[in-house]
Amino acid sequence: MSLAFNGVNSFHFTLGLVELDHGPVAAQLVKALDAPQLRKVITVEKLTSTKLAGTEIMSGELAAALVIPAGFSSAATSPHPEPLTTVTSNNATIAGDVTTSIVSSFEAQVNADRLAFAVALAAGAPKAETSKLIGVVSTLRIPIQAVERPIGAHELKVISYYSPGMAIFFLLFTINYTARSFFVDRSQGMIERMRAAPVRPVEILLGKAISVFVYGVVSLATIGVVTTAAFGADWGAPLPAALLGLALVFSVICLTALVMGLARTQRQAEGIASIIIFGLALLGGDFFFISSAPSTIKHLALLTPNGWAIRGFTDLATIGGGLGTIVEPVVAILVLSAVVGAIALGLARRAVTS
Amino acid sequence: MSRPPVLECAGLTKSFGTRLAVDGVGFRIAEGEVYGLLGPNGAGKTTTMKMVCGLLEPDKGSISIAGQQAIGNLEVKGLIGYVPQEVALYPDLTAYENLAFLARLYKLGRRTVAARVEEALELTELSDRRNDRLDSFSGGMKRRMNIAAGLLNHPKLLVLDEPTVGVDPQSRHAILERVQAFGREGLAVVYTTHYMEEAERVCDRVGIIDHGRLIAEGTRRELVAQLGEQDRIELNASGDLERLAEACRAVDGVSSAATAENSVHLVATEGRHLLPAILEAADAADISITSVDVVEPDLEAVFLNLTGTALRE
Repeated sequence: MSLAFNGVNSFHFTLGLVELDHGPVAAQLVKALDAPQLRKVITVEKLTSTKLAGTEIMSGELAAALVIPAGFSSAATSPHPEPLTTVTSNNATIAGDVTTSIVSSFEAQVNADRLAFAVALAAGAPKAETSKLIGVVSTLRIPIQAVERPIGAHELKVISYYSPGMAIFFLLFTINYTARSFFVDRSQGMIERMRAAPVRPVEILLGKAISVFVYGVVSLATIGVVTTAAFGADWGAPLPAALLGLALVFSVICLTALVMGLARTQRQAEGIASIIIFGLALLGGDFFFISSAPSTIKHLALLTPNGWAIRGFTDLATIGGGLGTIVEPVVAILVLSAVVGAIALGLARRAVTS
Repeated sequence: MSRPPVLECAGLTKSFGTRLAVDGVGFRIAEGEVYGLLGPNGAGKTTTMKMVCGLLEPDKGSISIAGQQAIGNLEVKGLIGYVPQEVALYPDLTAYENLAFLARLYKLGRRTVAARVEEALELTELSDRRNDRLDSFSGGMKRRMNIAAGLLNHPKLLVLDEPTVGVDPQSRHAILERVQAFGREGLAVVYTTHYMEEAERVCDRVGIIDHGRLIAEGTRRELVAQLGEQDRIELNASGDLERLAEACRAVDGVSSAATAENSVHLVATEGRHLLPAILEAADAADISITSVDVVEPDLEAVFLNLTGTALRE
């Protein structure tokens, strides 16, 4: 894990820059972003529109984007400022924070210049220019505003991230309970007794799968309802959230079959299940904001069903939307489950008949 | 055999790796017959029963149940009641819940399940404990429940794999009575045991299995007749028992001698008349005999004669 998290010390991201103003103040800001001190942290990629920036952030090509609106420079001395907007993503919150911080520094610098000008006037600037300067100073407000806007419709609340994270973590424990119960059944002779009846091995496995399904659905639904009602967590629209949950439960069924197939004894099952549960929880982002993790972990998270599920739930909570929002995570979870399930089915069938 | 066979198996063979567990076993059991499969632990009884019940696939051989080919035939399993050696039930469920769960495996309707469970509880005299959890039952009651579970599907063939292991004498008596009653009621029963007296008491016919092979088969009378009028002599002694057995083999009239725990078992013609010569041989071998027991011909003597070893070794 230390190897995986080593990248924390070398943070770098690509910032999209949408320059719609082309005025002198905007030019100063673009120049500031190109400063040598920032090059270690930021690579600036110029874009033509805010929409394009949003698309590239969604696809993961950009971590954040800065939009300099048209009329920004001229508004710098007007009473109606045009705000600078940082477009951020839940998957790269640090990049958003860094961009906002840079923009705020620039804003502070501009205001400091303006204050100096006002002080100069007060200290006795040429009288011929006084009335003109007074006119300028009378309009002094903070003309540049830095606004952080999440890429979705809503900002991601901490509770909306950790509620699904913890619910999924508890769901993963079903792997342990069920695999253990299988080996207890086997040691008590129950599996053999079932097989003596006109029942196929796959039906015995199906029985275990149904128990995982029922437990998983009830567990997710309970935590979902409680965290929404008591803590104000946002799980997104009920139908897509439910479908995402079902896909995840399916993956847990496949993982349970894998543990049953790999283990030979109850203790082995408990050991393998623990490794899988904590491994997935750690890599998938159940314990921490995956956006804060180094890129190695972010990439590994995409190999875990819980990582995709967390991504799906946070997208539902921020971007909102309907079924379209969860298509990608659901497909990814089902593909991962199919791979695990294909391996597990043969192994688990052998566990029933041996 | 005039009645049609419920179970007919031939040439059953099963190996586990290089170990040959069952080697060409074949026998037939008719309706209403209690057939005992007798042999020491590890002889191949349980492996044979598992093949009959479809839990293990034989490497070779055939199994037919009620005229239907049984290997790989899921439907035939519905004709078999299987009572495994260990109590295979959920300890934290009640008697009724356990039986209802198992009855559902036979795809019976809800009412039929309820009726069959009540019937099985009644047959095993556990109706008054129907709502008690299994972990509150005595060992004997659990064994009876184990048998009740094997009756839920109204089987044509009941397979009882050592159903009295670890049971107190009273419960054992009750189980043996019930097994005899099954035979009278027309059920074909396979009863595996390594207890000689149980086989003698409940079984119409006995097959003796050792090292995976069926070495003899018949009624008790038929099997004992193989020995002629030979007696079994049990010598309890301390010292070098192998030496004692060797000395006894040299006595004229002793046909076999085998050592067991703290004793030597002999099969001999006119055993009582040979006692002085046997004691003299023991004395010459410098072994002190603590007690002598002469038993009329029985299955144990048959087993000893056939295998050269005592059954309870």
